[in-house]
Amino acid sequence: MTKLTLRGVSKAYGATQAVRRGDLEIAPGEVHVLIGSNGSGKSTLCKIVAGSVRPDAGAVLLDGEPVAVSGPQAARALGIGIFYQELSLAGQRTVAENICLTDLPRKAGLFVDRRALAERAQRYIALFEDVAGDDFAADAVVDRLRADQRQLVEIMKALATEAPVLIFDEPTSALDRAQVERFFAILRGLKQEGRSMIFISHRMDEIFAIGDRVTVIRDGETVATMALADTEPAAVIRLMVGEKDELAAAAPQPAAAVASGRAEPLLEVEGFTGAGFHDVSFAVARGEILGFGGLHGQGQSAVLRALFGALPHSAGSVRLAGRPLASRGPRETIRRGCAYVSGDRGRDGVITGRPILENVMPIHYLRNRLVLARPGALRDKARPALEALRTKFAGFGYPVSSLSGGNQQKIVIARWLIDRPSVLLLDDPTKGIDLSTKADLFALIRELAGEGLGIVLYSSEDAELLANADRILVFNGGRISRELVGDERTRYNLYHAAYEAA
Amino acid sequence: MSADTTRSDAPPRPRLRLGALKAPVVVALILIVALLALGEALSPGFASFEQILRLLIVAALLGIVAAGQNLVILGGREGIDLSVGGVVSLSAIVAGNVMNGADGGIAMAILACVATGALFGAFNGLGVTLLRIPPLVMTLGMLGVLQGLLVVIRQGIPSGRAAPALSEFVTRPFLLGLPGIIWLWIAIGLVMAFVLKRTVFGHRIYAIGSNEHAAYMAGVPVRTMRVALFTLSGVFAAIAGICLLGYSGSSFANVGEQYMLPSIIAVVFGGTPLAGGRGGYTGTMAGAVLLVILQSILTTVNIDESGRQMVFGATLLVLMLFYGRGRTMRA
Repeated sequence: MTKLTLRGVSKAYGATQAVRRGDLEIAPGEVHVLIGSNGSGKSTLCKIVAGSVRPDAGAVLLDGEPVAVSGPQAARALGIGIFYQELSLAGQRTVAENICLTDLPRKAGLFVDRRALAERAQRYIALFEDVAGDDFAADAVVDRLRADQRQLVEIMKALATEAPVLIFDEPTSALDRAQVERFFAILRGLKQEGRSMIFISHRMDEIFAIGDRVTVIRDGETVATMALADTEPAAVIRLMVGEKDELAAAAPQPAAAVASGRAEPLLEVEGFTGAGFHDVSFAVARGEILGFGGLHGQGQSAVLRALFGALPHSAGSVRLAGRPLASRGPRETIRRGCAYVSGDRGRDGVITGRPILENVMPIHYLRNRLVLARPGALRDKARPALEALRTKFAGFGYPVSSLSGGNQQKIVIARWLIDRPSVLLLDDPTKGIDLSTKADLFALIRELAGEGLGIVLYSSEDAELLANADRILVFNGGRISRELVGDERTRYNLYHAAYEAA
Repeated sequence: MSADTTRSDAPPRPRLRLGALKAPVVVALILIVALLALGEALSPGFASFEQILRLLIVAALLGIVAAGQNLVILGGREGIDLSVGGVVSLSAIVAGNVMNGADGGIAMAILACVATGALFGAFNGLGVTLLRIPPLVMTLGMLGVLQGLLVVIRQGIPSGRAAPALSEFVTRPFLLGLPGIIWLWIAIGLVMAFVLKRTVFGHRIYAIGSNEHAAYMAGVPVRTMRVALFTLSGVFAAIAGICLLGYSGSSFANVGEQYMLPSIIAVVFGGTPLAGGRGGYTGTMAGAVLLVILQSILTTVNIDESGRQMVFGATLLVLMLFYGRGRTMRA
């Protein structure tokens, strides 16, 4: 008798098929691990179970009965509780209130029963006694807590639903060793009570420590389910990679100088440390495309932003073309020849509502210390940059928002092409843009490398990274955990390094 | 994907650009003509040349204040300068005392006033950028400080008089039958249009107004820009204060108070939304003229000061209904 069954569920967002075919069987009293690479569909599958996403097809069965999980409210009524990866706490409220937020105890159906609330919250706070930190208390305001403490509150909130089925989507990412141990002890207790848990984590050691069975999901399809006792990490990773691991052969041949290691280093980073990254050291040579890989949010983006000067760093040294780069802000790094393109173009890139010309020009203004903006002269400067990217636009006077997402990103990139930078930092630059734009972009990047630029490319799409980077640094927990050079650049090696215990 | 390509291939209809840029000016001009006709109907002689000239002088005073207000609002991040009225009053008193009726003191007075305006404007800008005080609170607080300062100054020191040359500049025809202040206003209008459209500074104003973070990432000195905008607002208010002294002959404490709300309304009327990042000064000029005519009509039909204030407040709310909301929903 299975507790929860997903049979052939699918979900598409527009043209993107997030889940093609999801089959999942969760037994009572088991911790069922769900694993898959970036964007393979794990979170969507969880959201279907939790009712926040409605599947296009397929069936959800609870205790053998087909159910329609029509929304989060319905999920709670059916006995499904979820820990959200993106924290869903009310920041201005206390720990106790957040724990009981899903079902506040009431007096006379209207007023919050303060005493009952405190008592109930205390039960869950007590579970993490001694590991939550000294300043962790029922009446502490959530916004003042550390990241790990907030994550504990989120766990307590999920536990407080007392639901027979609990979903934990990366619940341990911010926790320390002792907190994880305690959490696992609690999960074992819940298993004894016969509750079912879906557990998502990227740490192989945790998965093998707490999981009973694992289901591997690849490209939106659940490809295998097996008992963790009968398998090993390498086998799980092989299933995540799939049959087609020929990408290393397709990877480009870097320029001869780069390949032989004779190229002079352009950007040298030593012991770089800041919020979200520790002791990062690497060098980029002229003409080299250095890839940053690994799971989401392991510090890749933070390192790039800090190098550009948009985030502070606390330690380490950076040298650009042999001279120290003390970045006090983007203005200074831009003047020194640093370029940075963010995948979050709405926030970091596009000057919304302004004409295309004004969107292409700001870097040119800065690097040439211009005072006057003569449209004719500026158009002549902008045109070759936009043509290099094969940008489609009707005229320089049209607002940038009249363009498609891919073409908007091309406008943002074109900014950096008028006065050539020496280092190009690409922070997941192809997020949410179409395939033809991606092709244009990577063709340009290779060309720029050929001209002698040093390029750092972080991509959340592993295939992009494997196909374009000459060398890949895999990030794990804010540190570089492995360097993949030459023939080592395979999907298997990339996953292996990314999923290794932090 | 094919949908994306077709969308970017097809040029957006030019109507969109016309709608965003020109319409407020056109609407304001139509309203100006309509209100003049209404005034003439209510009180014959309302739309005579002398009367229109007088209205334009008053509009120029408002328009110069609104130029600074316009810059601050364009810069976005809830940019607004509520202290302009206080700066106008203070500037008029400083000018009156420095020149004290003598033509020889005009240059010195201008210098003193511009420095005063720049100082208070810069304070506003620093409070907004370094101390991260919201512009509304910062400039409202500054207005309080200025009002207190005016009370202190008024005790003891007699307020000064305008120099004859200054009064002449504001009220007497100077060139082509128009007084100097109208020419000054036209010059300011041309300079503003040039700065906003054809200089890096202008483009950067729009950039920080429409996406501050993207502007920062593209090397725009966001803080310096914002301090500069508030400083310019103070300077424009100070210039208006000097001209106001010339218009009224002598300075009294709260002459500038009447400019706070109208300067904002003129900007919004002219097509610059309070969210910033769009619009320009040409529309604001039309908005200033429109407001002055409206005020004059209200006076003609014997609506007193409190009634006029109510009409102005209601006008701003109605304008918000048309211009203010669209931006927020699209953003």
